[in-house]
Amino acid sequence: MQTNRSVLNVSQLSVDIEGRERRRILNEISFTLEADTVLGIIGQSGSGKTVLSRALVNWLRPPLRISGGSILFKGVDLATVNETAMQQLRGREIAYIGSDPANALDPTLPIGRQIAEKLMSVENDLARDAADRRVLQMLDAVRIPSSRQRFHEFPFQFSGGMMQRVMIVDALITNPAFLVADNITQPLDVTIAAQILRLLKELQRDFRTSTVFVSSALGVVAEIADRVIVLAHGEVVEQQGMHGLLDRPTHEYTRRLISEMPKIWGEEPLPTAVETPASETVLSVRDVSKTYSERDRNRFFVWNHIQAVRGVSFDVFRGENLGIIGESGCGKSTLSRLLGRVEAPDTGQIEFLGKDIAHMGRRQLLGLRKKFQLLLQDPFNAIPPHLTIGRTIAEPLYIQGGTSSVEVEKRVRATMIEVGLQEDLYDLLPVGLSAGQRQRVNIARAMVLDPELLILDETLSALDQVEQAKLIELFGDIQKRRGITYIYISHDLSLVRRVCNRIAVMYLGRVVELASNTDIFFNPQHPYTRALLSAVPAIEERRYLPETYLMEGEPPSPINIPAGCSFRSRCPLPIEICASVDPKLSATPSDGYAACHLITPIAQSTINS
Amino acid sequence: MFALNFLLRRIVQGIVIIGLVTLLIFTLLRVVPGDPVRIMLGPMVAPSVMEQVATELGLRDPIPVQFGRYMLQVMKGDLGHSFIRNAQGGSTGGSRGGETFDLQNRAKVSELIANTIPYSILLAALAILFTVLISFPLGFVAGVYSGKWPDRLSLYVSSVLVSLPNVWLGIVLILLLSAWGGILPAIGYNGPSYAILPALVLAIELAPVMIRSIAVSVANSLQENYVSVGEVRGIKRRRMITHHVLRNASIPLLNLFGIQVIGMLLGSLFVVEYIFNYPGVGLLMINAVFQRDFPIIQAIAMLSSAVLVCVNILVDLAATNIDRRLQY
Ligand code: SF4
Repeated sequence: MQTNRSVLNVSQLSVDIEGRERRRILNEISFTLEADTVLGIIGQSGSGKTVLSRALVNWLRPPLRISGGSILFKGVDLATVNETAMQQLRGREIAYIGSDPANALDPTLPIGRQIAEKLMSVENDLARDAADRRVLQMLDAVRIPSSRQRFHEFPFQFSGGMMQRVMIVDALITNPAFLVADNITQPLDVTIAAQILRLLKELQRDFRTSTVFVSSALGVVAEIADRVIVLAHGEVVEQQGMHGLLDRPTHEYTRRLISEMPKIWGEEPLPTAVETPASETVLSVRDVSKTYSERDRNRFFVWNHIQAVRGVSFDVFRGENLGIIGESGCGKSTLSRLLGRVEAPDTGQIEFLGKDIAHMGRRQLLGLRKKFQLLLQDPFNAIPPHLTIGRTIAEPLYIQGGTSSVEVEKRVRATMIEVGLQEDLYDLLPVGLSAGQRQRVNIARAMVLDPELLILDETLSALDQVEQAKLIELFGDIQKRRGITYIYISHDLSLVRRVCNRIAVMYLGRVVELASNTDIFFNPQHPYTRALLSAVPAIEERRYLPETYLMEGEPPSPINIPAGCSFRSRCPLPIEICASVDPKLSATPSDGYAACHLITPIAQSTINS
Repeated sequence: MFALNFLLRRIVQGIVIIGLVTLLIFTLLRVVPGDPVRIMLGPMVAPSVMEQVATELGLRDPIPVQFGRYMLQVMKGDLGHSFIRNAQGGSTGGSRGGETFDLQNRAKVSELIANTIPYSILLAALAILFTVLISFPLGFVAGVYSGKWPDRLSLYVSSVLVSLPNVWLGIVLILLLSAWGGILPAIGYNGPSYAILPALVLAIELAPVMIRSIAVSVANSLQENYVSVGEVRGIKRRRMITHHVLRNASIPLLNLFGIQVIGMLLGSLFVVEYIFNYPGVGLLMINAVFQRDFPIIQAIAMLSSAVLVCVNILVDLAATNIDRRLQY
């Protein structure tokens, strides 16, 4: 498969950041990109991988500067070539795709026009209609639905995944000799990212584009690369074939990287929660819905109804960890606001300890509120910068009232110790706290009220693996001590795999499957759960193959939800009834619940509807 | 469909705004001291005659009644008659006796405005042209070389310009270019060349705002991610600026133009026309204010707010056409 022709020869490449003092960002990087192959570059944030990918296309801006070495491409040294000659190569022979597709094009012009503009400016004698034709062909090649219409649409009308396809068209339309793909799947949801990755793989094969694929996720790189370079602190620590790297990593850093990769099907994790099957119900959610209305500016007196949460029901039992997973737009953040009673649902009940909090008044709620707390993702904006840490943590106690200030201080200090904050932070302002410490302050603030239920909405998402693991352990300890119940709301499958007893999978405002941890990962019933599992970037062998379960397409808009099963447009095995009858969440043979006609006898779901 | 919906909504909004402005001016005129009848009839007239004329003109009715009557009249397309000016165009005043004041032979406000407005339009158009000619190159260069010497130069120029009061500037220009230099005519109107000097004064007043805003919007647009991505996509920087940066920068500029520049222009027009004795709507307005000529003041206030509202609608319509995101 590999020819001996090399496309790009990088040797001893160094990049410095120039300022009052020089600092080296990349140190003497050397590698070769063979023709028609994909070279993966893996590195964590701060490893210099984005700088490297920009340096390869000579696109560094001051204060960054190439300070040594060479990048040979077709006999030209890109490291020293002048701007005019580089301009000739960029866009024509050398292409680059970044991680921010949403801001990559002029927001005020249709995407088709802009790609044609690029094509015409690199191929000078191309007529406009010929350029348009080629753009359309390429839009079809990346499977953008109704390409003719989308040609004339504007960047903001595209989802992240579709926009990334547009940028792939833009990069490959000139059939470049080499392509740098810099973290292109990073901002996307797993199923969408997996689609993009699959597409890029196909296109790379068809166009024979030599590709440098940069990513921080080993699982993603493993999916596409032939060879791989491991970058750490600006240096190449290891370089070898993809399979060799996974099987026989030679460098310590690579070994750690591989061992830190969360495993999904590997060893059976130990959910931190104590198994207390179906004991006491702490929270009972019944048929909860929430719709937002928004004016349709293209029609008179018309409001669009965005159905964010559509009839969700589940129970949470004392002492368990319930996971709620789903991709962006599935309604999980709205659901978390409803459960935390930041907002009231339009319909349905939320019973907490036997009382319906769905429509409870403010005053009544205040008393109950100390028993259930919502913790959000963002550890930075939630902490007031002008209050001492002790005061911030004490805030909920003051709001609740009825505690003497001596007692408040005692409880705050005790809670700080419990969540692993040094007590001497009590009188300090929050400046200079690390992300992990800030998240701990947030946790302490919630814990100080001694809640019985904690809702964690992407609370751990912004943290790195190590910090995340520490907090998971902390939550486990607190649970053992206090018998607390957790709801983890997250998009991260490996996280819920590690900590949750039961998991609910959401799609388009609904719970489509609810089952035990083991069943969700080893015996999922709903096609969407399988698609989700097939898309996880993993270095283990997959139990569900994307070829079987991952269809093209994106979720329908929550404004116009089609009749029948809302997953139908992406379902690999739809049957006739799916087009007309919306499946209800019903019991599966394996003791879980799923909303799919394949699982529940049709007669039953018709009766239910 | 969007445009229609948009226009309808904005026009209704606009009418409400114009109505409110008119009501405000209408009330203020009648609340602040200064009885127009006294000026109409002169100081020598007996109080009883004054009262009689005032009642005849409806000036003694409660303000809401007067306003209602006025609005009904306006809706029929009648802006009323001047209190002071007679139909022949001359201004009557207090020196005349009450007997010669002819209630029936007063000038129609609509005609007075129609006679003066072409001059004002000429002046305003010329002023905008000069403003663009001065501020566009300076602002554009400053924006593209943001932080470098052209940027600083344009900042100095606009700081100097902004500190010149228009009255003073007008007088200096009249002295320099007209009285001493003899290059341009200055006072009154006797052909389009008379509009050049006042337009220049207006342009110098408007230019600094425009220069700064052009510089800032161009510089901000250049910072956008798509501009640097454009380079790596293979689009030359020059083309990026002419085809994309300018387009994007025009949106904040249009807004500024619609609100601030037109507002400033309307305000300064009155003053500058007065300084140059230029026979436009502004001069008419200033004289009307001195003479408590309510119908003229009201009509011109209404007209000004209508201009402001219309320009704003047009500007927003243009902006939503340039950037479709504004339609959502
Ligand atoms: S109900 Fe039909 S369309 Fe929906 S997930 Fe099941 S099989 Fe697929």
